[in-house]
Amino acid sequence: MKKSKILIIFGVIFVLGLIVYFPGRKAARSHVNYITAVDDHPLSCTSCHVYTSQNKWVSKMVNEDYYSPFNMVVSNDGSRLYVIAQDINELMVVDTENENVLNKINVGVHPHSVILNKSGKIAYVSNEWSDNVSVIDLVSSKVIDTLKTGNGPAGLALSSNEQFLYVVNVFGSDLSVIDLSTKEEIKRLTTGNNPTGTALSPDGKVLYVTSRRANMVPYGEPLISDLTIINDSTKTVAKYLGIESAYMMENVAFTPSGDLAMTTLIRPKNLITSIQVERGWMMNHGIAIIEQKEEGRVVQLLLDEPNAYYSDPFDIVISPDGKKAFVSSSGVDYISVISIDSIRTILAESSPKMLKSFSNNLGISSRFVIKRISTGANPKGLTLSPDGKRLYVAEQLEDKIAVINTESLETIGSINLGGPLRITVARQGRRLFNNAGHTFQNQYACYTCHPDNHEDGLVYNMAGKDMGRNVTNTQSLREIGGTAPFKWNGKNQSVYKQDGMRFSAILTRTEPFNHDDLDALVAYIVTGIKHPPNLMYNPDGELTESQIRGKEIYNRSVDNLGIAIPENNRCITCHPPPLYTDLKMADVSTLSDTDDPILFDTPHLHNIFSSAPYLHDGRAETLEEIWTIYGEDDKHGHVNDLTKMQLNDLIDYLKSLRSPLYDDDKSEVQHGTYIKSN
Amino acid sequence: MHKKRSNTVFLIIMTISFSVVFFLSCKESSNEGMIVFTQVEGDIQKINYITGNSWRYIPNSRIVALNSNKSGEKIKVLTEDYFSACSPDISYDGKFMLFAAQKKQNDIWQIWEMNLENLKIRQITSSSEDCFNPSYLPGKRMVFSKFTTIDNVKEGYALFTSNLDGSEINQITFNPHAYFASTVLQDGRILTISRQLFPEQKDGMFMVMRPDGTKQELFYKGLKGSEIHSRGWETNDGKVFFIETDNKDKEGGDIISVNYNRPLHSRVNLSSGIEGDFYAVSPIQAGSLLVSYRSSDNDRYALYEFDEVNKTLGKVIYKDENYNILEAVVIKKKERPRKLPSDLNMSVNTGLLLCQDINFTDVQSVEDTSSISKAVRIEVMGIDTSLGIVDVEKDGSFYLKVLADTPFRIQTISEDGQVVNGPGSWIYLRPNERRGCVGCHEDHEQVPYNRQPLSVRKEPIILPKQLNKVHKEKDS
Repeated sequence: MKKSKILIIFGVIFVLGLIVYFPGRKAARSHVNYITAVDDHPLSCTSCHVYTSQNKWVSKMVNEDYYSPFNMVVSNDGSRLYVIAQDINELMVVDTENENVLNKINVGVHPHSVILNKSGKIAYVSNEWSDNVSVIDLVSSKVIDTLKTGNGPAGLALSSNEQFLYVVNVFGSDLSVIDLSTKEEIKRLTTGNNPTGTALSPDGKVLYVTSRRANMVPYGEPLISDLTIINDSTKTVAKYLGIESAYMMENVAFTPSGDLAMTTLIRPKNLITSIQVERGWMMNHGIAIIEQKEEGRVVQLLLDEPNAYYSDPFDIVISPDGKKAFVSSSGVDYISVISIDSIRTILAESSPKMLKSFSNNLGISSRFVIKRISTGANPKGLTLSPDGKRLYVAEQLEDKIAVINTESLETIGSINLGGPLRITVARQGRRLFNNAGHTFQNQYACYTCHPDNHEDGLVYNMAGKDMGRNVTNTQSLREIGGTAPFKWNGKNQSVYKQDGMRFSAILTRTEPFNHDDLDALVAYIVTGIKHPPNLMYNPDGELTESQIRGKEIYNRSVDNLGIAIPENNRCITCHPPPLYTDLKMADVSTLSDTDDPILFDTPHLHNIFSSAPYLHDGRAETLEEIWTIYGEDDKHGHVNDLTKMQLNDLIDYLKSLRSPLYDDDKSEVQHGTYIKSN
Repeated sequence: MHKKRSNTVFLIIMTISFSVVFFLSCKESSNEGMIVFTQVEGDIQKINYITGNSWRYIPNSRIVALNSNKSGEKIKVLTEDYFSACSPDISYDGKFMLFAAQKKQNDIWQIWEMNLENLKIRQITSSSEDCFNPSYLPGKRMVFSKFTTIDNVKEGYALFTSNLDGSEINQITFNPHAYFASTVLQDGRILTISRQLFPEQKDGMFMVMRPDGTKQELFYKGLKGSEIHSRGWETNDGKVFFIETDNKDKEGGDIISVNYNRPLHSRVNLSSGIEGDFYAVSPIQAGSLLVSYRSSDNDRYALYEFDEVNKTLGKVIYKDENYNILEAVVIKKKERPRKLPSDLNMSVNTGLLLCQDINFTDVQSVEDTSSISKAVRIEVMGIDTSLGIVDVEKDGSFYLKVLADTPFRIQTISEDGQVVNGPGSWIYLRPNERRGCVGCHEDHEQVPYNRQPLSVRKEPIILPKQLNKVHKEKDS
């Protein structure tokens, strides 16, 4: 071929390339801007078409099945560690001497806690998303029984005589008492809201149960979360001990002498306008100390410091000599080591007024925290070796167990559980979600207000404009992928925008996420969040008779008098399946005097049973209140013709709604998105 | 044959290219580890902590570079064309240096930037007032001190920020204070020495604020009568080092460290057992500091290493019998601080202030509150006039909308009109800033109680009253 011809061909290709490149780039820019709702996201196809892809092949390629160690326990001789691998539904048996995994035992869905009986031969594993407990013979490493529990079994304890198993039900907010001889649940006791942790006192007389959510009160009322105290001998609730201004009490422990109980907690500032982060204005993290004597005091002490916060305290364990307590601060990857004698000194020397003020003092931690030990990503469960010389830390997002010498307070080892080595984009997003490093001075992580990727049940005054106005109910992050726009005012058309520049200016008040981190966070929120099943109201996909009647009411177009309901006032119009939202803005007559005159985004209704309180400002404590107290004008659906029984049916149906992914077989391949219950 | 020749040519081109890249990269890293410092010939003039003369700007000074790794190498003067040059600050990538200088003796002090690779200098500010103590901010900006006139305060130095090309100059402090020796903490805030000038002069203290001037608060306050002598330096292990003196007539003091996490209660004097004075300090690496030290008033300040862990003076790095060596800093890359977002809105001319309870004081005085009269109102005092008296709510809270960038102080008043507390420190709010405090004269480590203040259930009280009128006119 002649040289000139080649040049002409190259010239034509070049010109064609230019013609395609510039308009193509412009079109790509326009497309990316439209999808992300921001104008500065890099032109990266992988952000949406790979990392957040719903295609099963793509999803399989880009994601991994991590282990995510959560809670654990040590054998009586200290040679074995039994680790809950939450994301693969297994109990891992780890050799502590050789630091390797010996065995993996399949348990139920999303296991939460593990305990051993006194002989150390039987392990009990609570399966939070299958509503049962696996009983495991540790000699044969086999599940020998499965005990039915209440909804969302989490914390476990054995009665002092080992005849009964106490199971804390996190979704049901109750406690199952299971007779181990008959393997039947003999009692279900009401606990505080959203309980998880539990511990039996050393004398075996009382069982403490923590709660994560505060009791439901109207916005402006003081926040109180209950510690439930149960009498072990009578199996009855002895007391609901209100812990003021606190929530997210994850776990509880007793000193060996039994003089103190200690629980982790967060002290949110949701009633104060969120105008700054400085000076602990948003979230504080600490512990409560409950004296175990007549008229015993309840004292709260912060773990935070004036310029450093130790967000999301999770577990607490106390050394056998009663001298030290260890708290995992899962949002900052630290273990705080506490001198219990120093705490006793503070209790002895301080007046009630002083003690009360300590609960809001950032300097007090310097009097009792003796060391901060850094860990791998997201430290959760803690356990001590029987001699108290080693502390094991479950690094949930590292797939490792850290080993700390409790005398030198140095990390002396790390047990690799063998999870995937590759850190996927969604996994990185999960790390970011759980880490407070992207908030000014590490004061809170995304997880803090969205525990378990859900919501914390609180209403905040986010101070978009003037203080005291526009209070907003925290929204769940579960199943929000296809439900844009976001925020109650619908101002954010994508998660990219939601977590972008404005987010950092108003909420995190530090440098915004860079684009890689933002991609990772979006990938996790859109595809990586696991959805608990709705086993309480829709365990097998079949509706009850009441729910079927409720569904008819939901879908109806005429009222009880046979009069046609205007189309825009029917439930089904604004909340159509499968998302149960039309993705539009609406006025349902809920605007209050303190709201700016805006329309509200129509929320999706999946798993709405677990999202109380309701409405944009959380004014409705129950679904029923939406239409009884706050829906008298029939503007939030035509409901005032309904009888009480019909309203009950409607609410029964609403509570049964669950993720569309749950009934969609294709969703099985979405890694980390959906797990079907047993 | 042709192919062979073209291969040879290709190889030669590649070799030359790699060589160029290699030598360029060598040149790039050649400044790493060098030390730059301010030198002053002869005796140090008496320091003026109020005006900063001979302290924050030093007449007849020069900036020099020293390669401490090469024994016997002479220093290199970097600012030969300047009458005075001081306050070197190295960029986060280690490639540039900001400094303050005057070309001729009576020139205005301006801010300049030097490219440390080719030593070219460019002028950043062209101010009609003295500018000095520059420090790099993330996002290609800098913060510096500049002389400014504030009502009733004839001499004051405010902080300004600007782009590194001198554009977008913004004043960020508005109190009748002098602000000097700024540095930027890893959290993105500016750490600066601030001294109240009006109505009476007070000791200097470290204040922190966001780069837009918002959320200014106390970081560290020395012992009564002491002076913070040098800028603060934060290290990767969470400590902040600086020089403090308890003798204002001396041109030096002791090395002090505080923990970033709890600066008000973690002061450690690292040099209390060492005779002599320290003029400045900066970090070299973990556990090791670079200090300007002299053993007696008769000596010149020289450059030493200091072992922070063992609190001992190490080897002398550089000494010159004719020159004092001040403000030394190692040229190296360092982690860029966070670039903080801003919610300033310059089209708004007010800011909002919320106080949770004016009767809340501090933890120590919790027990004594019975003996103190309860305040029921506040007086907001401007520089030369009262801006208004406001009743607080039953819970002790108040919610104000005040003119932005205007300093004011608050004093609390009892039912019978007596002053209970105050007036407190000067405060200003930036346009659209929303700021909260727990109480008046509160413990700086106290966080707010989680309760909704009664005052925010209403509209904010607008001060001064004239502003209220303007707002109403706008609304109508």
